[in-house]
Amino acid sequence: MDVFGGLVYGLGVALVPANLFACFVGVFVGTLIGVLPGIGPVATMSLLLPATYAMSPTASIILMAGVYYGAMYGGSTTSILVNIPGEAASVVTCLDGYQMARQGRAGPALGIAAMGSFIAGTLSVLGIMLLAPPLTKAALRFGPPEIFALLLLGFTMVTYLTAGSKLKAVAMALLGMLLGTIGLDPITASPRFTYGTLTLADGLGLVPIIMGLFGISEVLLNIEKGVEQEVFDTRIKGLLPTREDWKRSAGPIARGSVLGFFLGILPGIGAIIPTFISYALERRLSKHPERFGTGMIEGVAAPEAANNAATGGSMIPLLTLGIAPNVVMAVLLSAFLIHGVQPGPLLIREHPEIFWGVIASMYVGNAMLLVLNLPLIGLWVQLLRVPYGILFPLILMFCVIGVYSESGNVWDIVVMLAFGGLGYLMRKFAFEPAPMVLAFVLGRMAEESIRQSLLMSHGSFDILLTRPLATTFLALALAVMVVPLVLPSVKRALRTVPLEKTEG
Amino acid sequence: MRRRELAAAAVLLAFGLFAVIQARGLRFGTVAAPGPGFFPLCLALALCVVGIGLVVGAWRAAPASGAPAPSLRPRRFAIAATLGSLLVYALVLEWLGFLLATFALLVFFFRVLQHQRWLVAVAGSLATSLVSYLVFKTWLGVNLPGGLLQF
Repeated sequence: MDVFGGLVYGLGVALVPANLFACFVGVFVGTLIGVLPGIGPVATMSLLLPATYAMSPTASIILMAGVYYGAMYGGSTTSILVNIPGEAASVVTCLDGYQMARQGRAGPALGIAAMGSFIAGTLSVLGIMLLAPPLTKAALRFGPPEIFALLLLGFTMVTYLTAGSKLKAVAMALLGMLLGTIGLDPITASPRFTYGTLTLADGLGLVPIIMGLFGISEVLLNIEKGVEQEVFDTRIKGLLPTREDWKRSAGPIARGSVLGFFLGILPGIGAIIPTFISYALERRLSKHPERFGTGMIEGVAAPEAANNAATGGSMIPLLTLGIAPNVVMAVLLSAFLIHGVQPGPLLIREHPEIFWGVIASMYVGNAMLLVLNLPLIGLWVQLLRVPYGILFPLILMFCVIGVYSESGNVWDIVVMLAFGGLGYLMRKFAFEPAPMVLAFVLGRMAEESIRQSLLMSHGSFDILLTRPLATTFLALALAVMVVPLVLPSVKRALRTVPLEKTEG
Repeated sequence: MRRRELAAAAVLLAFGLFAVIQARGLRFGTVAAPGPGFFPLCLALALCVVGIGLVVGAWRAAPASGAPAPSLRPRRFAIAATLGSLLVYALVLEWLGFLLATFALLVFFFRVLQHQRWLVAVAGSLATSLVSYLVFKTWLGVNLPGGLLQF
């Protein structure tokens, strides 16, 4: 199937009423939680996992993906109106977006954020359509050594791109992988670290871990420090950006889209880092760099385009290789697996309805978000007035329901609470949860691929160095470690990513 | 700051050592045919090395480096009460059932932690637990324990 045929076929799938409804629910819920501080796309998607059991695999992936890119839209709304990023990928949008709102230009800021996101989302869907099929063909030639080397590259990027101590990030990744070895050995199926308990025999669940680390611990932090709730109290009028606004934003949106998309493909990047880089790029290209931070529309358009495009880009490794490049994609990966579908090079052939359907649904969903968001901004603002004292018991209750309903095992609630407490302490001590979760998910794959590689090579690690693709990945991993040491400007650029602002 | 960093590093190192001991109980196999213990042992040893690195790093850091550490003290009670009440909730959930347990939990949150008036706390908790039960169990068919109040 060629790309065009694929898209037409995918649109046919995406426009089936059930899938259309799933897409709507996804983007709606996504926008909602994007607006609400204290609950992000990762926790929400894990929460929804059990609810999608009864749905078709296509509909459930469409819904989950919708939550993710929907949250990107929602997050920008609160950044602009209240200076609180609804989720981490909208941190940069606060800088100029909130200033615009204070100058009475909240409307155009919201408008350009939504339209920039739409354009970027559309471009990234085009990118996926063009890039995924050839990558799929290449991925079919991957053996265990290539997979292992690629995972190693991913881990390196995740740990080296987190702000703060790299050593701590490595420790978290190792801890995550160790926790992932609990349960049955993937090759011999003998139990490991189960201590005779049934709860541990299946391994720790991803959902309780994520709900704990990203849901519960976030609530605990908010209880501790309190959530500021000052809603900007002017009427929002005139959402449409002026011709002048468009002229200034066209370049930033285009550059942000391209940058976000390609960075998003890389493992470990996620949607947050591209926003910082695109903001920095626009400031450098601007004739008035000193005016950034005072309400420049370019500073809203570029990062908003970048985070939406990165969302699309990060789908590529998942759809073509079956590898989750970030925590959000790890949740999406488990959504695939729950339905017995293995994403990877064979997906496009074995389940074209999922592959093309999900891609086309992102296109449909982006259009829906545009229609949904502009008129509903008033409603989202009202939502922000719900006091946190009412919100947090509800979030906790949803976490409990979500975790319990997934397995019907109360001990999973206990696991969630343990990780909630752990996550709270980790943030207090400046340890990042993202490398841990990603390593937890990918650890199993890493173990399988290295053990198979060693079986293939009769115990020689040379197998990683004699196969060109595997060696390339290892060389790239080495470059990621060395380049920031040699080039201080790269190091400084990466430093701008603030702590605690990884995928939430 | 330094003491806390040191404590965190020490905990990680201790966990690494614990994992090494545990992983040695599994069959290592050979490098040519790795067994179930191969990967966990490698990870545990690596964690020990990183742990030592963190301990050394924390030890050598200047005692008063950087900004003062955010204190763990404020609202420690609220944090402990939240986690503790959820733990109790998990343990009694299947016996009491979702409705009663959730009602009690929410009353605790609203009244004790949020200092809402009794009427507000009870009415709000009643409505929330009932609505969520109806939505999740009756409408979405999510598996929630009925417990004492089965309907």
